[in-house]
Amino acid sequence: MSLHGIRTVAALELRQRARTSRWPVVLLLWFLLVAGVTSLSYAALNNASVKAGPTLYDVTTFLVLGLSMLVVPSLTATSVNGDREAGVLATLQTTLLTPADIIVGKLVSSWVIALVFLAVSSPFLLWAWVAGGIGIGQVVGSLLVLAFVLAVTCAIGLAFSTLTARTVASAVLTYLAIATLVFGTVIVFLLSFFLVQSREQVRYYGIPDSFWAAQTKNDDGSISPDSVIPTVADCRHLTREETVIHTERIWWLLPMNPFVVVADAAPGRTAPGPTAYSGVQPMRAISIGARSARAGADGRERQECDFGGGGGPAALPPLQSGPIYPYGLVFYLALGAGATWLAIRRTRTPVTRLPNGTRIA
Amino acid sequence: MRRAFGSVLAVDDISLVARPGEVTALVGPNGAGKTTLLLMLATLLVPDHGTIRIEGFDPVTQPAEVRARIGWMPDGFGTWDALTVREVLHTIGAAYRMGPAEARARTEAVLELLHLGDLADRRARVLSRGQKQRLGLARALLHDPSVLLLDEPASGLDPRSRIELRDVLRTMAADGKTVLVSSHILTELQEVADRAVIVARGRTTQDQTLDATELATTVGTWRITSLDADRLRQWLGERHVPWRAELAAVVVQVGGEEQAARLLADLVADGIRVIAFAPSHGALEAAYLAATEDRQ
Repeated sequence: MSLHGIRTVAALELRQRARTSRWPVVLLLWFLLVAGVTSLSYAALNNASVKAGPTLYDVTTFLVLGLSMLVVPSLTATSVNGDREAGVLATLQTTLLTPADIIVGKLVSSWVIALVFLAVSSPFLLWAWVAGGIGIGQVVGSLLVLAFVLAVTCAIGLAFSTLTARTVASAVLTYLAIATLVFGTVIVFLLSFFLVQSREQVRYYGIPDSFWAAQTKNDDGSISPDSVIPTVADCRHLTREETVIHTERIWWLLPMNPFVVVADAAPGRTAPGPTAYSGVQPMRAISIGARSARAGADGRERQECDFGGGGGPAALPPLQSGPIYPYGLVFYLALGAGATWLAIRRTRTPVTRLPNGTRIA
Repeated sequence: MRRAFGSVLAVDDISLVARPGEVTALVGPNGAGKTTLLLMLATLLVPDHGTIRIEGFDPVTQPAEVRARIGWMPDGFGTWDALTVREVLHTIGAAYRMGPAEARARTEAVLELLHLGDLADRRARVLSRGQKQRLGLARALLHDPSVLLLDEPASGLDPRSRIELRDVLRTMAADGKTVLVSSHILTELQEVADRAVIVARGRTTQDQTLDATELATTVGTWRITSLDADRLRQWLGERHVPWRAELAAVVVQVGGEEQAARLLADLVADGIRVIAFAPSHGALEAAYLAATEDRQ
């Protein structure tokens, strides 16, 4: 592998793409889509009391990542087998370029295109930053994480394009793989709840059942409203049996999700804003949810005595673990490196075995 | 050498030596294993059995050394459609680790050699098949390889380009390069090749030299056309020369060029007005037909 070789392949790929596709149109559509959604969010959310900045940043990042997951795999999913079909891969393989040059060159070129899409959406991220509340360091940091996830997505497509002879098959497999990461992890996470749930005694501070039993009832068994005003004095430290889900045993499914990784690294979670789940802050909600999943079953006493301004302790915020995104980054680094290694191995020549239906040249 | 794809035995037993300074022709019917053989030589495919040496290097274990020395022109290749001819060649130059200046210089030289100068700034997409073939040859020649592996280089070429191709191949051989060319067009190969290797069903069936002395002594079929057709047949019958009619012409077996010349002289001396007198098959064609006879 050499810098010169990688640059040669990347330049070749970029030049071809620049000339064969309608990039200006695609980028314009992308720009308009992001612009539309961001402007609507701004119009809907901005008012004198709440700065729309963090929300804007969240919505835009969420949108850009979601759209990228649709667009980016198509950049590489037919790269190697498409070249093989067009009879141009062997032309490179018989030169002094190594398989690593070819694969990494293709990876770099598709990543550059993915970054162009990111760059086109950056005015809106900047707008969000200006609109308030987010430091530039945080924006840059989360952009880097986003760019990294896109690079891994490119690598996954590239690996599949070396695995199948038909471009349709590799495109389908790539999208399936991406869908597994985006939806599959969440679905498996939620479906595994029954595996990690148990009935346990939990402590709480609230109104005992005896309080309600002591109330005078109407004829139909409902409680007459006049008499039901419990006060802090009525609260007791009690226990009851509840279903507890030990998500700390399955939280590791979450950092495999690109949205969780990007959300957890996003600045929205630390920005001053409304309460945890208020507003439209998808990234913030994802991040808080994922961290509380990792923190797992909450052993703290439930605070259920805060009613009617009676002065009881407020409900506790969700239990939070440390950052999750570093685990995601490690996972994605391994995934990207593995995919790239596989792709390189599969483009090595001379070959001993040809998959069915493939041609070399 | 042997190479199979699953149950299909593409190359069963082919052995050949192509020497520097010579044009070696690889001839055989469709499916004879020519392309597979060239893929193995071009470092793309590992043979199941047997060994290959290209200038002393093994394509399986030392592909980089081999690649630096070979120029491969595949059969039915594609090209980067969106690039111009010149850009394609610059890219290939870069892929062979040439510096930009060297790549540019070699590109111009090859464009000149193959008369592609006019097309240099056209997109490869708009080239005709023959023009693409020339671009393919240009690509194979760009890094000045010492071994040329050409798979059907003449297909799709117009007559003029064929003649130019022939000259290019002869020039390469004269420069001491090894040229291995596969083709179906026998008359062409006859003119350009020093030796022919005939393969059929994945086997070498014949390895013959195509030089003048051999042609002169082989029994060949000659075709005679005369304005006095009836007198010609009578004349041949009187001298017990076996002949058969082929349209208006007469075909006879003659043992070499010397005898053919004598026959012609005799005919003319006896006042038979001969208007055409030529070998009906080239030596290569004859050998090819003999080698692949069992196919019919």
